[in-house]
Amino acid sequence: MRLDRREFLRGAAGTGCAVAFGLKFFHFSDDPIAYAAEVDQLVRSTCSPNCTGACGFKARVTGGRISTLIQAADYPEESYNPRGCLRGLSMMDLIYGKDRLKYPLIRTGPRGSGKFRRATWDEALDYTAGKLKEISDKYGPEAIASTIQVPGTGYVQKGALVALTGLAGWTMHHGYDQNGDLPMFWPMTFGVQSEELESLEWINARTTLIFGSNVIQTRLPDAHHLMEAKRRGRVVVIDPDFCSTAAKADEWLPIKADTDAALGLGMARIIIDRGLYDVAFLQDFTDFPILVRQDTGKRLLAGEVATLASEAEGRNIPDYRRLFVVRCGEDFRILDPEKLDPTHAELEGEFEVTLTDGKTIQVETVFTALRKNLAPYTLDQVAAITGLDPVQIERVAVDAAENGPIHVIYGASNYQWYNGDLKGRALSLLPVLTGSIGKSGAGISTYAGQYRIRFNVKSWWFPEGTKINWVAYLHFLQGKGPNYPKNGIKAMVGGWGNPFDQHNMSNRLKERATSGELEFILTTDFQMSTSCMWSDVVLPAPSWYEKYDLTATILHPYLQLQQPAIKPLFESKSELWIFRELAKRLNPAFEGHFFPQLDDQQAALKVIELLLATGGAETTGITLEMLKKGPVRLHSPAPGDRQVPFYEQVRHRVPFPPPSYPAPIKATAQFLRSGRIEFYKDEDLFLKEGEQLPVHKETYVETEYKVNPAAREKYQLRYVTKNSLYRVHSTHSNNTILLELQDNKAKVFLNPLDAKKRGINNGELVQIYNDRGKTRAYAILDPGCSTGTAIFEEGWWSRYLGEESYNSLTYPWIKPLHEIYFVPGIWSPTTVWNECLVDVRRMSA
Amino acid sequence: MKMGMVIDLEKCIGCRSCMVACKQHNAQPPETWWNRVFTPGSHRHLTPPAKGVEYFLPVHCQHCENAPCEKVCPVGATFHAEDGAVLIDFDRCIGCRYCMSACPYGVRQFNWEEAEKAHKRSGYQEKYHYGYPEEHRHDGRLVYMPLRPKGIVEKCTFCAQYRDKGELPACVQGCPGKARFVGDLDDPNSDVSTMIKARDAFTLLPEKGTKPTVFYLPPKPKEV
Amino acid sequence: MSMTMKRTLWISGAIVLIALCFWFYQLWQGLILTNMVNSYSWGLYISGLAFFVGNAAGGLVLTSSIYLFGVKKLKPLAKLGALTAFANVTAAMLIVLPDIGKPLRLMYLALHPNFMSPLVWDVIVLNLYALASAIYLYILLLPELTGKLSWLAIKVNNPHDFSERWAKRIAPVALLFAIGIHVVTAWIFSTQGARDWWHSPAMAPDFVSVAIAVGTTVVLLAGALAYGTGQKYEEAYRILGLIIFMATCIHLFLMMNDLVIHAWYGNAETHRIMEIAWGDFAWAHIFEVAAPFIGAGLLMLPAVRRSLPLLALSSGMLIAGVFIHRFLIMPAAYNNIPMTLTPLGLPNTHWSLPIASGRFLPGMSTFLDQYSYTPSLVEVMILLGIMAYAVFLVVLAISKLPILVKGNA
Repeated sequence: MRLDRREFLRGAAGTGCAVAFGLKFFHFSDDPIAYAAEVDQLVRSTCSPNCTGACGFKARVTGGRISTLIQAADYPEESYNPRGCLRGLSMMDLIYGKDRLKYPLIRTGPRGSGKFRRATWDEALDYTAGKLKEISDKYGPEAIASTIQVPGTGYVQKGALVALTGLAGWTMHHGYDQNGDLPMFWPMTFGVQSEELESLEWINARTTLIFGSNVIQTRLPDAHHLMEAKRRGRVVVIDPDFCSTAAKADEWLPIKADTDAALGLGMARIIIDRGLYDVAFLQDFTDFPILVRQDTGKRLLAGEVATLASEAEGRNIPDYRRLFVVRCGEDFRILDPEKLDPTHAELEGEFEVTLTDGKTIQVETVFTALRKNLAPYTLDQVAAITGLDPVQIERVAVDAAENGPIHVIYGASNYQWYNGDLKGRALSLLPVLTGSIGKSGAGISTYAGQYRIRFNVKSWWFPEGTKINWVAYLHFLQGKGPNYPKNGIKAMVGGWGNPFDQHNMSNRLKERATSGELEFILTTDFQMSTSCMWSDVVLPAPSWYEKYDLTATILHPYLQLQQPAIKPLFESKSELWIFRELAKRLNPAFEGHFFPQLDDQQAALKVIELLLATGGAETTGITLEMLKKGPVRLHSPAPGDRQVPFYEQVRHRVPFPPPSYPAPIKATAQFLRSGRIEFYKDEDLFLKEGEQLPVHKETYVETEYKVNPAAREKYQLRYVTKNSLYRVHSTHSNNTILLELQDNKAKVFLNPLDAKKRGINNGELVQIYNDRGKTRAYAILDPGCSTGTAIFEEGWWSRYLGEESYNSLTYPWIKPLHEIYFVPGIWSPTTVWNECLVDVRRMSA
Repeated sequence: MKMGMVIDLEKCIGCRSCMVACKQHNAQPPETWWNRVFTPGSHRHLTPPAKGVEYFLPVHCQHCENAPCEKVCPVGATFHAEDGAVLIDFDRCIGCRYCMSACPYGVRQFNWEEAEKAHKRSGYQEKYHYGYPEEHRHDGRLVYMPLRPKGIVEKCTFCAQYRDKGELPACVQGCPGKARFVGDLDDPNSDVSTMIKARDAFTLLPEKGTKPTVFYLPPKPKEV
Repeated sequence: MSMTMKRTLWISGAIVLIALCFWFYQLWQGLILTNMVNSYSWGLYISGLAFFVGNAAGGLVLTSSIYLFGVKKLKPLAKLGALTAFANVTAAMLIVLPDIGKPLRLMYLALHPNFMSPLVWDVIVLNLYALASAIYLYILLLPELTGKLSWLAIKVNNPHDFSERWAKRIAPVALLFAIGIHVVTAWIFSTQGARDWWHSPAMAPDFVSVAIAVGTTVVLLAGALAYGTGQKYEEAYRILGLIIFMATCIHLFLMMNDLVIHAWYGNAETHRIMEIAWGDFAWAHIFEVAAPFIGAGLLMLPAVRRSLPLLALSSGMLIAGVFIHRFLIMPAAYNNIPMTLTPLGLPNTHWSLPIASGRFLPGMSTFLDQYSYTPSLVEVMILLGIMAYAVFLVVLAISKLPILVKGNA
């Protein structure tokens, strides 16, 4: 390096002076300490919190530390580039932050106090294994409940805990319903866990209807596709509050909260009345032609019909199917649930049918029943319920029907209500009636959480002989339910999640931890989150720049690698290593599944190869070498491997439902016994509740007002815990860069009128409370916020809220219909965050 | 070749990723932000000022052709690069802050203390700080360094350390909305020139006569 | 040397030393020790620059009155005037030093000056004025540099004539510089289109009129303290009082003129400025108008001029009023954010883009469009130190050199 005059003088005079006076400013040229730029390299990994982004990032590594992060922008379809967001861009704040876990910790003080002592790995693992064995021996292995949050963010590392759970026979909670992200209308109507278009397909929709999803903020890396969809067509937002997506939309319908079922049904009525529906589509792919008994409300079975019974007997169909009946011309015909051939069936009509016992009964088609069901949902009636302008409703409905394909984006904020399933079913009518299903730019999509298992993971997740005892998280909070361990749940083993903030509904989790009902809590994480504070043993894991893993999401069908840019910091170890070590201590026989002969990084690579090889049609031909070069598109039936739900069903007439990994087809196909999209549900409880077809039901009647009629007067604000731009749930709650953008303050948004009534000024500290709990935040007067609403941005760690968990106000409601089947994460009681009433008052006396 | 930037306010979703990308890549310590994104009219970003009104505005150095900051700098530390970017020579700046009074856009930031000391407030482990790790000189003048000393002024350089290598500024690379474009204003067929003409681009504070080279495309008006 | 003078030297000397310690501390820690932020980036130090520059006018106003306009009655005060001019203009240059982020780089002003910058012009004229007032002082002292001080005198045939001749010759040049330092210092601010509060053609003439008022007051005060308020200099003081009063009236007129125009037209920037000026700073504005006016008015009264305490009080009021006037250069400039626009969809509203503060402000947002600036202890001590320096220099010079006319003090 050439030594120029300045540097020489610096060296000579400056250094001398500095030594003499010890004062930096005597340096002749004032150069600060240059950052040692040694061994600069760029490593591409995948940012993987539970945001559904799954964005490729390039880490610049300087002197063994990540100095910068930038979007990798290496997706083969240029339209997807760059992806990424402000959270991924500031990830180093967490990796090198002060909350980073460094070594294993064992609790010394009371739970939640944060008093720990440092332990060696051996000590911590031995202690953990000892406690787990103790509990297992005393209460049975099902008394230990594990959770991995949602699968998609790490098939390898998360799979290790799933495998251990199965080998040890523990209980497991499914993150999808725990998070309330499972929209129950999906299994009810389409027989699947959930489905969604990839965001590149958004631009192929002519009309995009967004119900309660703040896409601009929550699907950040995909928002530009929405803007392109707006450029090419129309985007309409239906939301009680004027969120930033409403600001970007062509039109905003300020609907009264939780009345979307009425709106959907009203619009469906208009579409049907005007004949804007796709007859052939409804005949072949839906249950609309199926005949329903007017006496029982049950669907007519072919075996009951005099003229069809013997034919029905001869038919060989899987257990999960039924033979229903349709009318074709003058005849009754059996509807084949295993074939979607054109039916030419009557969509409408009431008919008389003779049963095998000689009785004659009246039947009607589902479509006729639907028409009747829709009769009360006149424009004026719907306008009254929803608070919208009837002219606007009509215009939007007709416009959408005449300008397909329609894409409905159905947001969690909309369906996380007690009757969210009714809303989803009602809104599904819009794409279904118009035939906007199974083709490019068409359908209904929900994008909550990286829940989706996109291929067969059995080889790694469910080794031979595994038995997982699935218990819905809500049942855990209620303390009872199907598969509930007879001695209760005594231990929690978790990672990649923060239930003590995020799922501490009515403060029950913290109470169970304080009372000692939970005898042991183990958490792995890379930061000292609230859940770590409440654990007995905390094990430090690496971030997604320090290990190998496989990431997939629902917004796009790319499979991507997480790769280590730096070595795991301090003493952190990958989760695969952690659970392998734990497995070996619990039962030496367990270790074999986890590639014990390899170090954990090599083992992770082997697991990836295994998963790719055994993943099925989706991973055929995809290799680790390909993934090392960049994102690789998973295969799908649609042309170009596009992620278009139900493409096979509609284009190739394959019966509904497509499988939802990892459930066997019989578990989910039982929801669609007809092999078609079903709006008419005739299980007993549906009929009893009057929900065989979607209807609008009034909010809180079965929940808040039922348990406390006084709530009507006392708590007049609905508590919405929406996603924040600055966090991914509770990840980044402690990010100092992003905290600065929020003035380091938790916020609650109030309509100015509601604030004025309560004497609250902008920026004042207020308490949000109800009979179950309380929390605090600074009030923001928001003219876009509808009246009767308090919007709190979820994800704040309790330490930022004066240790008052914001979830202490919510309640683990369970809708009985969600319990008539149990397929974990697919048909399960699902958390309804928004079904919550509160009030707000100033904190200062 | 006259470099210019176009920011499409229709595509800008106000996510502030460009703020964070800029800050992170240019090693700005706490409380220093070269790039700001806000919601015009509102007291808080992402809160509408009135029901039905909301759009987002990113503002950083406008790299003005008639830059008042360059004119007032007593020692010529602020200068125009050949492509039109306005840069600060960290070796030359005496920290008089006249340029900060002169700039109508409020984009200049002063190092009131040693950046290294300011970074400590983040509480990072053992002297960690983010940022492009090497010094960068443009025409021999020091226009980027990872840890600035106290007493000098800094601002957006259109990421000189990246552009001089043929890469785009961090805010452009980091914008998920694909709302930012950099190009040659002198070329009438370049993307930026085409966009400016076709979309009625405007500049900020045109009446101040600074002739910014950052152009904004207005958001699409809603039908009534 | 009298007891009073000795005491004054000790006290002011001590303050200077204390201020030096604060300055070294600031050099070590950085300007974080001030209370300035990125959105409010000039404060007490630059107000001090304007203040001392104003005070410095007095000396050469005096000399031009004597040698250009023939007001011989003021002659006894001439040397004192030149001395206070020199002390204040050097104080003005000194007060800028702590405001510089990297003072060791000041040589770049000489190596790479940007002649477009009003700051460079100001450095030039201030130095020239310092030189001019020093030369003037020397010329005026020349006839009396005898005996122990003769080593300082240049050898000329007739020192008295020499002195008179050259004083007359230099007078117009000195006057040019005397006006020049105020015009150029004003131009530092008034050229800046970004700051509506500054961007007025009235600022330069206003600076000149304020300078004439306060600079002359400084000389009057110094003279009264040196010579007392006896009959001997009654006429001189009367003339000075008249100059002060007229200059104050012109200054107030120029201020009001600006105010009337803007208040009448009433655009958004003006409203914002009025909000700031009459909001938080209402009392300060009332003081900056009333104090000089009352002070100057009082100085028109012979009774006041005859009483040292009353004269000192009135002079003090005027000087204090001008000091506040200088301080008020900043708030309405920085708290009226230039990056203000009318948001789309909201005509008739104005919104300002907040600026990142650049420093930790506990309990406050990083992004500010308002900042309540009060100087920190470091800033105040350093300013006091510079003031003490000026006092020290004047008193020392008076004790060592024949500044004062013999038979007095």
